[in-house]
Amino acid sequence: MNSFLWIEIDAKQKSRFLLKCFKCKIPIYETYEEKNCFFFRILDKDYAKIKKFWFIKAKVKEETGFLKIKKEILHHHIFLIALLLGIFFLFFLSHMIVDVKVVHSNKEIRELLEAALQEKGIKKNSLRKSYEEIEQIKKEILNQYPSKLEWIEIERTGMKYIVRVEERKIENKEEEKTSCHIVATKDGIIKDLIYSKGVSLVKVNDVVKKGDILISGIIKKDEEERNIVCASGNVFAEVWYQVSASVPMEYEELIKTGKKRYNIRFQNSYYDDFIFKSRLNQYVEEKKEFLNVLGQRFFLVTQYEVRSEKKKYTESEALERALNEVLEKINSTLSEKEEIIDKKVLKKEINNSTMNIEVFVALKESIGEVQEFVKEMENE
Amino acid sequence: MHLYKTMKNFLFDQEYFIDIWEDYIHVFGIIDIELLEEYKIILVLEKFSFIIEGLQFRVLKLTKNEILVQGVLEKVMVKR
Repeated sequence: MNSFLWIEIDAKQKSRFLLKCFKCKIPIYETYEEKNCFFFRILDKDYAKIKKFWFIKAKVKEETGFLKIKKEILHHHIFLIALLLGIFFLFFLSHMIVDVKVVHSNKEIRELLEAALQEKGIKKNSLRKSYEEIEQIKKEILNQYPSKLEWIEIERTGMKYIVRVEERKIENKEEEKTSCHIVATKDGIIKDLIYSKGVSLVKVNDVVKKGDILISGIIKKDEEERNIVCASGNVFAEVWYQVSASVPMEYEELIKTGKKRYNIRFQNSYYDDFIFKSRLNQYVEEKKEFLNVLGQRFFLVTQYEVRSEKKKYTESEALERALNEVLEKINSTLSEKEEIIDKKVLKKEINNSTMNIEVFVALKESIGEVQEFVKEMENE
Repeated sequence: MHLYKTMKNFLFDQEYFIDIWEDYIHVFGIIDIELLEEYKIILVLEKFSFIIEGLQFRVLKLTKNEILVQGVLEKVMVKR
């Protein structure tokens, strides 16, 4: 792109100057005279040559072409940068998604779909996807959960995605069993018995062994087989376990020194760190959100300096801790009607700063399991 | 621009040409300028010198082989 300069010289020297330009092969594209001044337009690259002419005093009057554009840009650079940033920011905001809302009454479906969408990149504070990408994601999610999802629609409303979903309802075509007993899966003492079909062969406080029939599917009257059903019910029995656990005798306790510092934490989907460097070596923190703009979250963090101190459990404390650990572990496996009936520490020993215990636990647990039987075989 | 010039040269390939209007004169093919004054201009072409006389001559455009002059033209001469 050519850039031109308008140059001003004294009109008295114009003839000499023009001859010199012709000799030096400097093209002059336009000229005019005004108040004893001679103005001419040349290429900017020729200006250096003209400056060497000793008999004239050349002065740049105006720049045109690329040079002018460059000068204008430099002159208005703050405005232009602000404008570009504004356009970029507008573009960024118009392509940003700040919320994804899944519309469905079933919480399980909502959570399932939210996780799947997140995995595919449809999440809060992310860039929006193109139509083709959305279609692809919909297809992939439907293929991923063919038995749960019937149909998905992802609709963009402003900076939000609204996801509508239709759950696939498959009729439970599980074959109804016609002849079955409820048998014991473990040894135990019967504690509770609830049944809706069949005949109970045990009563509360009976001792049963694994495999014993608890509720029979064969209904008899006077030793004569009258009907065969699929027994159903729940049988709870006291069962016993021996559980072992070990806990360290030593532990580290964090003690606050009284020193505290404040900091600001910045968090978004890509970044999570303190703005200022923390000056405390070891600390615990409390944080409070004070600003949340489009998912850009700021927290005021109070850091309390702590020092760690090694402490030792007494034997009884260690035992209590180990026992709690065992009970918590067992409790996490129990269902609503199941419970711990009794517990007893059988053995405890301390080895290398560790306490090992063995605990006997009695549980009230459901032990009934449906087992099908073949009618002919039973008759034989 | 280069393409345009190449085409022009190809279609109108002349050693020199002189255009005269009422108050303009355009000369193509000059190799030197002997004199350049407000009342007289002497241009050197390949085979002759071209002399223009008049009043208030003003160079409007000047490149390595052509010149456009504005002014009141009174006399035109060719000197071999």
